[in-house]
Amino acid sequence: MAYELKLPDIGEGIQEGEIVTLYVKQGDTVKEDDVFAEVQTDKAVVEIPCPVTGTVKEILVKEGDVIDVGTVMAVFVPEGEEVTAPSSPAPSTEKKTETEVKQSQSVATQEKPVTVGNKKRVLAMPSVRKLARELGIDITQVTPSGPNGRITAEDVRNFASGSVQKEVPATTEEPQEVPAVSSSMPAQPTPVAAAGDEERIPLRGLRRTIARRMAESKFTAPHVTVMEEVDATKLIEIRSWGKKVGEERGIKLTYLPFIIKAVIAALRQYPTLNASIDMEKEEIIIKKYVHMGIATATEDGLIVPVIKNADRKSIFQLAEELTELTTRTRERKAQPHELTGSTFTITNIGSFGGTYFTPIINYPEVAILGVGKIADRPAVVDGQVVVRPQMHVSLSMDHRLIDGDVAARFLSKVKELLENPNLLMMEMS
Amino acid sequence: MVVGDFATEVDVMVIGGGPGGYVAAIRAAQLGRKVTLVDKSELGGVCLNRGCIPSKALISAADRVQQIRSASKLGINVENVAVDLEQMMNWKDEVVKKLTGGVRTLLKGNKVEVVSGEAYFSGPNTVRVSTENSSQTYQFNDCIIATGSRPTELKSLPFDGKRILSSTELLQLKEVPKHLLVVGGGYIGLELGTAYRKLGSEVTILEGADSILPEVDPAITRMVNRNLKKLGVKVVTKAMVQGGQTTGDEVTVTAEVKGKEETFTADVVLVAIGRTPNTDELGLDQVGITPDERGFIPVDDQLRTAVDHVYAIGDITGGALLAHKASYEGKVAAEVIAGQKSAVDYQVMPYVIFSDPEIAYAGLTEKEAKEAGYDPVTSRFSFHANGRALSMEAADGFVQVVADKESKQILGVQIVGPEASSLISEAVLAIEMGANVEDLSLTIHPHPTLPEALMEAAEGVLGQAIHMVNKK
Repeated sequence: MAYELKLPDIGEGIQEGEIVTLYVKQGDTVKEDDVFAEVQTDKAVVEIPCPVTGTVKEILVKEGDVIDVGTVMAVFVPEGEEVTAPSSPAPSTEKKTETEVKQSQSVATQEKPVTVGNKKRVLAMPSVRKLARELGIDITQVTPSGPNGRITAEDVRNFASGSVQKEVPATTEEPQEVPAVSSSMPAQPTPVAAAGDEERIPLRGLRRTIARRMAESKFTAPHVTVMEEVDATKLIEIRSWGKKVGEERGIKLTYLPFIIKAVIAALRQYPTLNASIDMEKEEIIIKKYVHMGIATATEDGLIVPVIKNADRKSIFQLAEELTELTTRTRERKAQPHELTGSTFTITNIGSFGGTYFTPIINYPEVAILGVGKIADRPAVVDGQVVVRPQMHVSLSMDHRLIDGDVAARFLSKVKELLENPNLLMMEMS
Repeated sequence: MVVGDFATEVDVMVIGGGPGGYVAAIRAAQLGRKVTLVDKSELGGVCLNRGCIPSKALISAADRVQQIRSASKLGINVENVAVDLEQMMNWKDEVVKKLTGGVRTLLKGNKVEVVSGEAYFSGPNTVRVSTENSSQTYQFNDCIIATGSRPTELKSLPFDGKRILSSTELLQLKEVPKHLLVVGGGYIGLELGTAYRKLGSEVTILEGADSILPEVDPAITRMVNRNLKKLGVKVVTKAMVQGGQTTGDEVTVTAEVKGKEETFTADVVLVAIGRTPNTDELGLDQVGITPDERGFIPVDDQLRTAVDHVYAIGDITGGALLAHKASYEGKVAAEVIAGQKSAVDYQVMPYVIFSDPEIAYAGLTEKEAKEAGYDPVTSRFSFHANGRALSMEAADGFVQVVADKESKQILGVQIVGPEASSLISEAVLAIEMGANVEDLSLTIHPHPTLPEALMEAAEGVLGQAIHMVNKK
């Protein structure tokens, strides 16, 4: 019996995955639990093992394919079982002599089947199909405008330039998986280069997810960004004190847990920033819990691991979890459930430099806090210009739900808490 | 590497000069790559030297003989028709020579360097080319393997080069055999068996399945079977060859026919049971390529093997073992190597069989269309209602169009009849362009010509064929 390997349900709410790397080829002999493929879901990369020991009869997916859970990826023939002829071979001239080849038990000459294709044909001229390949477009995604559903060259070009609505991946009703966020890595417009001076790299994997999510967020939520300067004098004091205490306990304490705490306290006061909009039902979903997304740079691109129930954790607990989770995220070992479900996100580009910036909301969340580096700057204290360590914070919010005054008040609250970290203790619940 | 053996550095190395290899070489050169092509014998491969071209020359000559013999109906009385097979073969060789010479000129014109010898990989980027008295190592950046296939030998009836022959030797006979026994009712056995029958041989075809051309639509093979009977070709189906014995000028072949043992005696036996890919003597393990259990090299949509800079095209990649598939793949592989985003992306592969009458088809049959989830409509137009076919005295056959009932999109076309091999190209174009039957029926087809039959069959899908009564 041939064994069909389907894309398993690899995590809550995950409906599709992208084949990043295939580790086996048709005809390979494999052992059970050998790696079959690396599949990327919204954020995590998961290894799918071979289900049986035997040979790979047929691989039905290729690298770059985005497939639904339950899709058959490959057919295996378990060890000791005969490789049977494919069930529906295409007509082919050499086939005609098959019976006699069998009769003689001579050298096998039969060819692999040409797939006639179970899917219906794409109605497009060969030149149009070529154009789609050149532009790196999956032609099956293009909306046809020609008669009888024919895809024209124009349709392909329009699709490429983004002027036609593209198929948006189905969204789940739940608070949503974490989309890629923030502007810690702003997309660079490709400069026009002379021919031969360009390199074309397929948009795949994490980068494609980021691209899709960023565009979805920016084109869906009208962004407005407000900014504040935070005097970090006291924050530095309490952190350097806490750092030593943490070291004794083996905990690495950064500024981030303090910022998380300050944000949570401010969210309590302004709950509409910890929310999302359900446009379909025309409802605002206010979340009574805080799952904090932390934008994390990895070699492959931006990923947002999530600290669940951050509002119920102490600063040291947050510090510990941050270190552990971001390390695993950088190694691309975080599980899908650790990368989904955030209600608010913080993006910290301070460690890379930078002051103010305009982060992109981790849609469908409605706000994101961007944190710049702490640096000595002139400040006015009691009418005097003095040098103070300053931290720049930027809050982007979805103006559909949050008005400027609320945003400004929220950010002032965050500023107040960070400038007087003792208040954090007062506000603690 | 042997001390003193300095590798010659080349850019793109193409191994094999058949319809896959030489086309790939020319396309890669057109796109600015420096190409070296290795071939062990003659340029043009099996197709030009031992396959398509010589067999078609022979089939055309045999058809001519047949037409002359049956010309009295047309008021042409010819007596004493004699076949000089040696002269016929000389003429055929001239045709082949013209074409291989043409290939050489084209390669030269495109600045492709041609090297003679047998290629053997000696590493992931090196290939050793040996001739009888020398050998040279080449180091390449990219490589296209296009080594094709050879006739498969029947173990119970091995080729002896004298009486038990492959199609290669049958195309070089000096005399018409008295009795030709063909083992294999596939297209090669059928084409050559029919041709030799027309040249005067007694011909018997042994086929293991219950019909010749077992993969072809029975409605189509029925036409061919009827004509084989008329020509006097004996077809034995469900025949399983057990072995053979050569005594003097004769070969006696034993076969189990429908459960009973029978013997067949002939002076020449053609064994045409399939083809084996030429991947066993290439040193593929040196590159890191493992062929599948049948010897075919697995490739991706861009003809890339498991090794990134090595590509494989044509028969060795399996699928349909056809020259036009090899050429198509050759172009794709060359374009990919040149950095283009080409891929194997065709809607249909056309198949042609030079039987009598000819067979050609592309795309889905009605049955396959149903299996693929369509709701198909089929319309058939007979060449008996086509003026040109009748005036050619070649009206046996029909054109059949399979279309999707709702969209009227053309899904497949099957043709049996005069010039079917040429007629199919219009159908292939229609399918590639995503045409529906209306597009075909609204296109003016010149009268009186054979392609009108395709237009009429298309109109038949709409219930509007003029020259037949339409099905309600």
